[in-house]
Amino acid sequence: MAWHDQDSWLTAAFAPKLSTIVVTLLLTLLLPILLHHFIYRRATPTTLPTFLLLGPSGAGKTALLTLAERNQVAATRTSTSPLAVEALLPEGFTPASSHYRSPGDPTFERSRCFLLVDTPGHGKLRHFATAQLADLSNVRGIVFVVDAAAVAEEAGLNEAAGYLHDVLLTLQKRYTGAKTSKGPKEIPVLVAANKEDLFTALPQHLARLELEKAISRIRKSKATGLKDSGVAMGGEEDAMEDEREWLGEGGEGPFEFQQMEEVGTSVTVLGGNVLGSEGSDVKGWFEWIAEHL
Amino acid sequence: MLDTFEILTTSGVVLWSRSYAPVSSNIINSLIRDVFIEERIQPQSGDAGQKPTYRKETYTLKWTTAKDLGLIFVAVYQSLVHLTWIDKLLDNVRALFVGLYGEQLKKEHTSKLDCSNFAPYFERQIQDLEGSSDSATSNVKLTPPSSTDNDSADEKSLKPPALRKQQHQLYDTSADSTPVPTPETSRPTTPAQHHLITGKGRPGAKLSRRDRKKASAASTQPSSGDETSAKRKAKGSAKKNRVWGEFGAEEEDSSVVLDYSQSDIRDEGSATEALEEIKQETWGRKTGKGEFVLKDIDEEMDQIIAAENAKKQSSTASGGIVGSSLGAIGGLFRNVVGGKTLTKEDLAKPLKGMEDHLLKKNVAREAVVRLCESVERDLVGLKTNSFTTIDSTLRTSMEKALTKILTPTSSLDLLREIQTVNATGRPYVISIVGVNGVGKSTNLSKIAFFLLQNHHRVLVAAADTFRSGAVEQLGVHVRNLKELSKREGGEVDLFEKGYGKDAANIAADAVAHASKNGFNVVLIDTAGRRHNDQRLMSSLTKFGKLAKPDKILMVAEALVGTDSVAQARNFNASFGPGRGLDGFVISKCDTVGDMIGTIVSMVHATGVPVVFLGVGQHYADLRGLNVSSVCRLLMS
Ligand SMILES: Nc1nc2c(ncn2[C@@H]2O[C@H](COP(=O)(O)OP(=O)(O)OP(=O)(O)O)[C@@H](O)[C@H]2O)c(=O)[nH]1
Ligand SMILES: [Mg+2]
Repeated sequence: MAWHDQDSWLTAAFAPKLSTIVVTLLLTLLLPILLHHFIYRRATPTTLPTFLLLGPSGAGKTALLTLAERNQVAATRTSTSPLAVEALLPEGFTPASSHYRSPGDPTFERSRCFLLVDTPGHGKLRHFATAQLADLSNVRGIVFVVDAAAVAEEAGLNEAAGYLHDVLLTLQKRYTGAKTSKGPKEIPVLVAANKEDLFTALPQHLARLELEKAISRIRKSKATGLKDSGVAMGGEEDAMEDEREWLGEGGEGPFEFQQMEEVGTSVTVLGGNVLGSEGSDVKGWFEWIAEHL
Repeated sequence: MLDTFEILTTSGVVLWSRSYAPVSSNIINSLIRDVFIEERIQPQSGDAGQKPTYRKETYTLKWTTAKDLGLIFVAVYQSLVHLTWIDKLLDNVRALFVGLYGEQLKKEHTSKLDCSNFAPYFERQIQDLEGSSDSATSNVKLTPPSSTDNDSADEKSLKPPALRKQQHQLYDTSADSTPVPTPETSRPTTPAQHHLITGKGRPGAKLSRRDRKKASAASTQPSSGDETSAKRKAKGSAKKNRVWGEFGAEEEDSSVVLDYSQSDIRDEGSATEALEEIKQETWGRKTGKGEFVLKDIDEEMDQIIAAENAKKQSSTASGGIVGSSLGAIGGLFRNVVGGKTLTKEDLAKPLKGMEDHLLKKNVAREAVVRLCESVERDLVGLKTNSFTTIDSTLRTSMEKALTKILTPTSSLDLLREIQTVNATGRPYVISIVGVNGVGKSTNLSKIAFFLLQNHHRVLVAAADTFRSGAVEQLGVHVRNLKELSKREGGEVDLFEKGYGKDAANIAADAVAHASKNGFNVVLIDTAGRRHNDQRLMSSLTKFGKLAKPDKILMVAEALVGTDSVAQARNFNASFGPGRGLDGFVISKCDTVGDMIGTIVSMVHATGVPVVFLGVGQHYADLRGLNVSSVCRLLMS
């Protein structure tokens, strides 16, 4: 049956039949409505830009989160579950994305809003942070909080550096493992050296140096360390994880945060304090957040 | 007396607290760390129904949780005082807090909670419970009885001086310890004590509302509620006096402060409005008003607690045949679709299945029980997510529990530790212990090989002076290693003094020899010993003291069965107080397939991490522990 036959579908479509009219009518009426729904459904659950709070236990993540939320620090205890909070950039900070918006603009208010996600820092509860790092689609930046007084000591430094190393390695893997040629969106990292109000705290440039040194050591001992049990016991599934990755340029020489730029991660170290006798000093951090918002 | 009471979220924010004596935040942090995270200290609950306790320094802590809302309620008091009513306080406060703020707490994306008006409820609870348990000792209630229904200010003379002092103390500590931003709203003492005075001269509308409340409270109160309210009535006349006395003594402005809290409680009208109102009023009117409002709270409180208790009861009790079968169908449905609140009974069967599964994987029964308890604690009272079954919820929870137990608390980077110790100018000392025939010497050689690959200079000390052939066996290993390491660039030697000498002395000599000859790692092999052999085990104490090992590793076979827990415990305790094992080497992992439960048993018994796994016959067959892959194998 060819298209020009008497009872082909094309002929029927142009014939003045009732069914044809009804179908056409329905189509013309419903299509725009459906289209509208489809598009607006997709658009409504706008997710806020997210900043992730990571760092060892007792660094002051939760304290910083309460400060960001209510402009005032609440008392905190060791966290055992993650917490997401909607925060507003304080007065006087302009998000980089709305430099040209006037302050009266309602979208300006909206653009100062962001989601801050706190994670527990205890070693046994890192899986919460790992889960957050697995999906970074809304994440604009990672704030890695360290206790600048704790990194003055061996144990604290090693813990902070070990955790930071793992975080940076995850980011690097995400970058190098990306399928697209453009590479994934860059995720900047702020190392917030907290508790600068304490006199035992390392100043920000020293904290940076110490962390870099510690990460170099970790990288070196990782390179020569033992393999994980995964390959030997887990069977085939782990076989491809065999090839290991080093942080930065091939794992040679001293590590510097600068090296992370090559894999789409800029690392900034800034000092500050959430608490303190003279109030809190978190201007630098908020500026950094504003810059990446 | 109670030192501190805190209400905090699992995410670490203190929502409300009241402290009567300063308590360092460490105390509660270590409760969270030791009990909730590391589960190192098993909360010991005495009798059935008693809440568990945790001791830290001179404090005793008791706690309860509201799982679905992620709340923890902690009471801290000095271990020296014996407080019997803490359990009740925790329960009541939880019921109150959940009843008052439950809805607010469900809000997402915020950590804020305005609970500044919680103070009077809390004070009221404390007074009730304290009063009911030891009314003889609490001087607060020992004021002489007198008529209370007149409004004259002369009453101030009735106030005993001691009482006044106490009032002030209470006042001060609470004001500076509450984290709530506005101090005025959290001043606690006054309202709580006021509400006992009989109200008079209130507006008609309020009267009727209050009476309604009263009526409904009376009808819904459970037996426990009745008791407390009865007690309250009995104490009524005594308390009125005190209130009056205090009132007279206070200055004009502090009575204003007092009314702040009232307006808060009422939650009607703004604070400024309340202030205006008060200024126009006389003393008498003020008190009448204050007491009326607070009476309201009292009934409201009983109602809330009753309602919460009733909710709990209804969820556990099964109603009628029709009700239960309907419930069963609904339960079945929700079981598949999710959104079901889990109870102990729901979990019993799947947990049993999980238990058997883990036992089959060669996890010691004790460890299995602990894991299942931890999972149960995690899940009871929780709502399953939509479209998840109980089984899958249980699985994820068990995976979490396994990860938690296996993940070491601190990093296990042996190479870095060696570096740090060597930087201080002395060799790093590792000693290997274990029962007979588990592969101590073999695993020691594997570790030596690993260190040689990292260009360390290793001295192997033969401190097994007991079993014939042990020294020679080690000699063979060292010869092989020398051969292998020629290419690698490390250096290895054997330190031996033959048989029969004291092992501890040999070890000490070896360490001295090493530092003199530039070895930077000493590996000490010890004689295998049965963990229940008292004599041999006790010699380990001396060994630990003399050789001062930086790391004591215990080798255990993956095949070991029910004995594993006792082995680990005995070895861990054998080095005397203050020194235990630092890690385990689990040998022969390649021979057990996925039945690697021993890893969990050992860590469970001691809290000491697994550092190495032996996975084969060659020197290179040594591995670090990969927690996630072990979990996967155990759950498969
Ligand atoms: N002196 C001083 N103390 C601070 C500062 N920031 C936070 N703290 C204190 O450090 C402690 C720990 O802070 P938290 O925010 O609870 O720590 P965290 O990073 O959330 O820790 P986890 O929840 O265990 O991961 C709290 O007692 C804070 O009061 C600061 O800038 N200076
Ligand atoms: Mg926290």
